[in-house]
Amino acid sequence: MLLQSAPADTTSYMLIGFTLIFGTIGLYVLSLYVRSRNLEKDLAVLTEVEPRRDRD
Amino acid sequence: MSATPRGLKILTWVTIALFALASYAVLIYAPREAVMGDVQRVFYFHVAAGWVGALAFLVAVVAAVVYLITKNRQWDTVGLSSIEIGVVFTLINIVTGSVWARPIWNTWWTWDPRLVTATVMELVYIAYLMLRQGIDDPDRRARFGAVYAIIGFLSVPLTFLSIRIFRTIHPVVIGSNDPGAEGTFDMTAKMLQAFLFSLFTFTFIYATLLWHRIRLQRQAERVELEKARLLAD
Repeated sequence: MLLQSAPADTTSYMLIGFTLIFGTIGLYVLSLYVRSRNLEKDLAVLTEVEPRRDRD
Repeated sequence: MSATPRGLKILTWVTIALFALASYAVLIYAPREAVMGDVQRVFYFHVAAGWVGALAFLVAVVAAVVYLITKNRQWDTVGLSSIEIGVVFTLINIVTGSVWARPIWNTWWTWDPRLVTATVMELVYIAYLMLRQGIDDPDRRARFGAVYAIIGFLSVPLTFLSIRIFRTIHPVVIGSNDPGAEGTFDMTAKMLQAFLFSLFTFTFIYATLLWHRIRLQRQAERVELEKARLLAD
Protein backbone atom coordinates (compact mmCIF):
# COMPACT_ATOMS: atom_id res chain seq x y z
CA MET A 1 0.00 0.00 0.00
CA LEU A 2 2.95 2.36 0.62
CA LEU A 3 3.96 2.60 -3.06
CA GLN A 4 0.49 3.18 -4.46
CA SER A 5 -0.37 6.60 -5.94
CA ALA A 6 -4.14 6.56 -5.41
CA PRO A 7 -6.15 5.50 -2.33
CA ALA A 8 -7.03 1.81 -2.21
CA ASP A 9 -10.54 0.93 -3.37
CA THR A 10 -12.03 -0.11 -0.04
CA THR A 11 -15.55 1.31 -0.53
CA SER A 12 -17.21 -2.10 -0.21
CA TYR A 13 -15.62 -2.60 3.24
CA MET A 14 -16.81 0.85 4.28
CA LEU A 15 -20.36 -0.06 3.22
CA ILE A 16 -20.20 -3.32 5.20
CA GLY A 17 -18.91 -1.41 8.23
CA PHE A 18 -21.66 1.24 8.19
CA THR A 19 -24.36 -1.36 7.49
CA LEU A 20 -23.23 -3.21 10.61
CA ILE A 21 -23.14 -0.01 12.70
CA PHE A 22 -26.58 1.27 11.63
CA GLY A 23 -28.02 -2.26 11.66
CA THR A 24 -26.82 -3.09 15.20
CA ILE A 25 -28.01 0.21 16.67
CA GLY A 26 -31.33 -0.15 14.79
CA LEU A 27 -31.82 -3.72 16.06
CA TYR A 28 -31.10 -2.66 19.64
CA VAL A 29 -33.60 0.22 19.45
CA LEU A 30 -36.15 -2.20 17.94
CA SER A 31 -35.51 -4.67 20.79
CA LEU A 32 -36.18 -1.91 23.34
CA TYR A 33 -39.47 -1.10 21.59
CA VAL A 34 -40.59 -4.74 21.32
CA ARG A 35 -39.72 -5.51 24.94
CA SER A 36 -41.58 -2.41 26.11
CA ARG A 37 -44.66 -3.33 24.04
CA ASN A 38 -44.67 -6.89 25.41
CA LEU A 39 -44.44 -5.61 28.98
CA GLU A 40 -47.34 -3.23 28.34
CA LYS A 41 -49.42 -6.18 27.13
CA ASP A 42 -48.44 -8.22 30.21
CA LEU A 43 -49.40 -5.36 32.49
CA ALA A 44 -52.74 -4.92 30.72
CA VAL A 45 -53.52 -8.63 31.20
CA LEU A 46 -52.49 -8.53 34.86
CA THR A 47 -54.60 -5.48 35.65
CA GLU A 48 -57.53 -7.12 33.83
CA VAL A 49 -57.20 -10.36 35.81
CA GLU A 50 -56.99 -8.65 39.19
CA PRO A 51 -60.47 -7.02 39.32
CA ARG A 52 -62.01 -10.23 37.95
CA ARG A 53 -60.43 -12.20 40.80
CA ASP A 54 -61.73 -9.62 43.29
CA ARG A 55 -65.28 -10.07 41.90
CA ASP A 56 -65.12 -13.89 42.11
CA MET B 1 -46.05 2.49 31.19
CA SER B 2 -46.10 6.14 32.25
CA ALA B 3 -45.98 8.74 29.47
CA THR B 4 -42.53 9.51 28.06
CA PRO B 5 -41.07 12.53 29.93
CA ARG B 6 -40.72 15.69 27.86
CA GLY B 7 -36.97 15.78 28.57
CA LEU B 8 -36.52 12.29 27.13
CA LYS B 9 -38.53 13.16 24.02
CA ILE B 10 -36.37 16.23 23.42
CA LEU B 11 -33.16 14.27 24.10
CA THR B 12 -34.24 11.55 21.66
CA TRP B 13 -34.90 14.00 18.83
CA VAL B 14 -31.67 15.91 19.52
CA THR B 15 -29.77 12.59 19.42
CA ILE B 16 -31.39 11.58 16.11
CA ALA B 17 -30.42 14.96 14.62
CA LEU B 18 -26.86 14.67 15.96
CA PHE B 19 -26.54 11.14 14.58
CA ALA B 20 -27.66 12.33 11.13
CA LEU B 21 -25.12 15.18 11.29
CA ALA B 22 -22.34 12.85 12.48
CA SER B 23 -23.12 10.45 9.63
CA TYR B 24 -22.83 13.35 7.18
CA ALA B 25 -19.53 14.42 8.83
CA VAL B 26 -17.88 10.99 8.54
CA LEU B 27 -19.30 9.99 5.13
CA ILE B 28 -19.09 13.29 3.24
CA TYR B 29 -17.43 16.12 5.20
CA ALA B 30 -14.27 14.25 6.23
CA PRO B 31 -11.82 13.71 3.35
CA ARG B 32 -10.95 10.27 2.01
CA GLU B 33 -7.75 8.97 3.62
CA ALA B 34 -4.85 8.98 1.13
CA VAL B 35 -3.70 5.37 1.56
CA MET B 36 -6.53 3.32 3.05
CA GLY B 37 -9.36 4.88 1.06
CA ASP B 38 -13.01 4.87 2.16
CA VAL B 39 -12.73 2.08 4.75
CA GLN B 40 -10.91 4.53 7.04
CA ARG B 41 -14.27 6.32 7.53
CA VAL B 42 -15.32 3.38 9.72
CA PHE B 43 -12.67 4.59 12.18
CA TYR B 44 -14.84 7.51 13.45
CA PHE B 45 -17.74 5.34 14.64
CA HIS B 46 -15.41 2.42 15.51
CA VAL B 47 -13.60 4.53 18.13
CA ALA B 48 -16.83 6.27 19.23
CA ALA B 49 -18.48 2.87 19.83
CA GLY B 50 -15.45 1.76 21.87
CA TRP B 51 -15.70 4.98 23.89
CA VAL B 52 -19.40 4.32 24.63
CA GLY B 53 -18.54 0.76 25.73
CA ALA B 54 -15.89 2.01 28.18
CA LEU B 55 -18.15 4.83 29.42
CA ALA B 56 -21.05 2.42 29.94
CA PHE B 57 -18.90 0.01 31.96
CA LEU B 58 -17.53 2.92 34.01
CA VAL B 59 -21.06 4.13 34.80
CA ALA B 60 -21.94 0.54 35.77
CA VAL B 61 -19.03 0.30 38.22
CA VAL B 62 -20.00 3.64 39.82
CA ALA B 63 -23.62 2.43 40.08
CA ALA B 64 -22.35 -0.84 41.62
CA VAL B 65 -20.37 0.96 44.32
CA VAL B 66 -23.32 3.26 45.12
CA TYR B 67 -25.65 0.23 45.26
CA LEU B 68 -23.38 -1.60 47.71
CA ILE B 69 -23.30 1.49 49.94
CA THR B 70 -26.99 2.47 49.77
CA LYS B 71 -28.69 -0.88 48.93
CA ASN B 72 -31.03 1.13 46.73
CA ARG B 73 -32.04 -1.19 43.84
CA GLN B 74 -32.45 1.74 41.45
CA TRP B 75 -28.66 1.73 41.17
CA ASP B 76 -28.76 -1.92 40.15
CA THR B 77 -31.18 -0.91 37.39
CA VAL B 78 -28.72 1.77 36.24
CA GLY B 79 -25.83 -0.73 36.27
CA LEU B 80 -27.71 -3.42 34.35
CA SER B 81 -28.99 -0.93 31.76
CA SER B 82 -25.56 0.58 31.27
CA ILE B 83 -23.87 -2.80 30.86
CA GLU B 84 -26.41 -3.94 28.26
CA ILE B 85 -25.72 -0.81 26.19
CA GLY B 86 -21.97 -1.26 26.72
CA VAL B 87 -22.16 -4.81 25.36
CA VAL B 88 -23.99 -3.61 22.20
CA PHE B 89 -21.47 -0.84 21.48
CA THR B 90 -18.41 -2.96 22.29
CA LEU B 91 -19.76 -5.49 19.80
CA ILE B 92 -20.00 -2.70 17.18
CA ASN B 93 -16.43 -1.71 18.06
CA ILE B 94 -15.06 -5.25 17.63
CA VAL B 95 -16.99 -6.05 14.44
CA THR B 96 -16.16 -2.74 12.70
CA GLY B 97 -12.51 -3.20 13.71
CA SER B 98 -12.57 -6.56 11.96
CA VAL B 99 -14.10 -5.02 8.79
CA TRP B 100 -11.46 -2.27 8.84
CA ALA B 101 -8.67 -4.81 9.42
CA ARG B 102 -9.58 -6.98 6.41
CA PRO B 103 -8.22 -4.67 3.66
CA ILE B 104 -5.53 -3.04 5.83
CA TRP B 105 -4.05 -6.02 7.73
CA ASN B 106 -5.24 -8.53 5.12
CA THR B 107 -7.12 -10.53 7.76
CA TRP B 108 -10.47 -10.38 9.57
CA TRP B 109 -8.85 -11.41 12.87
CA THR B 110 -5.41 -11.63 14.40
CA TRP B 111 -4.35 -12.55 17.95
CA ASP B 112 -3.31 -8.98 18.66
CA PRO B 113 -3.39 -7.86 22.36
CA ARG B 114 -6.02 -5.15 21.67
CA LEU B 115 -8.35 -7.47 19.79
CA VAL B 116 -7.99 -10.19 22.41
CA THR B 117 -8.50 -7.91 25.44
CA ALA B 118 -11.51 -6.20 23.81
CA THR B 119 -13.10 -9.58 23.06
CA VAL B 120 -12.39 -10.84 26.59
CA MET B 121 -13.99 -7.65 27.97
CA GLU B 122 -17.07 -8.24 25.80
CA LEU B 123 -17.34 -11.86 26.96
CA VAL B 124 -16.95 -10.81 30.62
CA TYR B 125 -19.98 -8.52 30.31
CA ILE B 126 -22.04 -10.98 28.23
CA ALA B 127 -21.44 -13.46 31.08
CA TYR B 128 -22.72 -10.80 33.53
CA LEU B 129 -26.01 -10.55 31.62
CA MET B 130 -26.35 -14.34 31.43
CA LEU B 131 -25.42 -15.08 35.05
CA ARG B 132 -27.90 -12.50 36.37
CA GLN B 133 -30.72 -14.48 34.76
CA GLY B 134 -29.91 -17.45 36.99
CA ILE B 135 -30.56 -15.66 40.29
CA ASP B 136 -34.21 -15.33 41.36
CA ASP B 137 -33.88 -13.29 44.54
CA PRO B 138 -33.70 -9.61 43.45
CA ASP B 139 -31.46 -8.52 46.33
CA ARG B 140 -29.01 -11.36 45.78
CA ARG B 141 -29.06 -10.64 42.04
CA ALA B 142 -28.31 -6.98 42.62
CA ARG B 143 -25.51 -7.76 45.09
CA PHE B 144 -23.97 -10.29 42.71
CA GLY B 145 -24.31 -7.83 39.82
CA ALA B 146 -22.59 -5.06 41.76
CA VAL B 147 -19.62 -7.21 42.82
CA TYR B 148 -19.30 -8.67 39.31
CA ALA B 149 -19.43 -5.21 37.70
CA ILE B 150 -16.61 -4.00 39.96
CA ILE B 151 -14.37 -7.03 39.30
CA GLY B 152 -15.29 -7.15 35.59
CA PHE B 153 -14.27 -3.53 35.17
CA LEU B 154 -10.61 -4.59 35.45
CA SER B 155 -10.93 -5.68 31.81
CA VAL B 156 -11.68 -2.09 30.69
CA PRO B 157 -8.36 -0.35 31.59
CA LEU B 158 -6.54 -3.51 30.46
CA THR B 159 -8.17 -3.15 27.01
CA PHE B 160 -7.41 0.57 26.87
CA LEU B 161 -3.78 0.14 27.89
CA SER B 162 -3.09 -3.05 25.89
CA ILE B 163 -1.88 -1.13 22.83
CA ARG B 164 0.39 0.99 25.02
CA ILE B 165 1.82 -1.86 27.13
CA PHE B 166 2.16 -4.77 24.69
CA ARG B 167 3.74 -5.07 21.25
CA THR B 168 0.87 -4.63 18.82
CA ILE B 169 -0.02 -3.75 15.25
CA HIS B 170 -3.15 -1.87 16.33
CA PRO B 171 -2.69 1.88 15.80
CA VAL B 172 -2.69 4.22 18.82
CA VAL B 173 -4.72 7.18 17.56
CA ILE B 174 -4.02 9.57 20.41
CA GLY B 175 -0.55 10.23 21.74
CA SER B 176 1.62 7.88 19.67
CA ASN B 177 3.13 7.37 16.25
CA ASP B 178 4.40 3.82 16.64
CA PRO B 179 6.15 2.78 13.39
CA GLY B 180 5.13 -0.85 14.04
CA ALA B 181 1.42 -0.02 13.84
CA GLU B 182 -0.46 -0.98 10.67
CA GLY B 183 -3.24 1.37 9.58
CA THR B 184 -2.03 4.46 11.41
CA PHE B 185 -2.63 7.86 9.77
CA ASP B 186 -2.32 11.59 10.44
CA MET B 187 -5.65 13.33 10.91
CA THR B 188 -6.36 16.49 8.96
CA ALA B 189 -8.36 19.29 10.61
CA LYS B 190 -11.60 18.05 9.01
CA MET B 191 -10.89 14.47 10.09
CA LEU B 192 -10.29 15.62 13.66
CA GLN B 193 -13.54 17.62 13.65
CA ALA B 194 -15.50 14.59 12.38
CA PHE B 195 -13.78 12.39 14.98
CA LEU B 196 -14.55 14.68 17.93
CA PHE B 197 -18.12 15.23 16.72
CA SER B 198 -18.62 11.45 16.51
CA LEU B 199 -17.43 11.04 20.10
CA PHE B 200 -19.81 13.82 21.20
CA THR B 201 -22.75 12.29 19.28
CA PHE B 202 -22.18 8.77 20.57
CA THR B 203 -22.11 10.12 24.13
CA PHE B 204 -25.60 11.56 23.46
CA ILE B 205 -26.71 8.22 21.98
CA TYR B 206 -25.51 6.49 25.15
CA ALA B 207 -27.36 8.91 27.45
CA THR B 208 -30.58 8.58 25.44
CA LEU B 209 -30.46 4.79 25.28
CA LEU B 210 -29.62 4.59 28.99
CA TRP B 211 -32.68 6.64 29.92
CA HIS B 212 -34.93 4.48 27.69
CA ARG B 213 -33.39 1.25 29.04
CA ILE B 214 -33.84 2.32 32.68
CA ARG B 215 -37.53 3.05 31.98
CA LEU B 216 -37.87 -0.39 30.38
CA GLN B 217 -36.32 -2.06 33.44
CA ARG B 218 -38.71 -0.21 35.78
CA GLN B 219 -41.59 -1.37 33.60
CA ALA B 220 -40.32 -4.98 33.87
CA GLU B 221 -40.04 -4.65 37.66
CA ARG B 222 -43.63 -3.36 37.85
CA VAL B 223 -44.86 -6.39 35.88
CA GLU B 224 -42.91 -8.72 38.19
CA LEU B 225 -44.43 -6.98 41.21
CA GLU B 226 -47.97 -7.33 39.83
CA LYS B 227 -47.36 -11.03 39.10
CA ALA B 228 -46.05 -11.61 42.63
CA ARG B 229 -49.06 -9.80 44.11
CA LEU B 230 -51.47 -11.90 42.10
CA LEU B 231 -49.76 -15.13 43.13
CA ALA B 232 -49.72 -14.07 46.79
CA ASP B 233 -53.53 -13.39 46.85
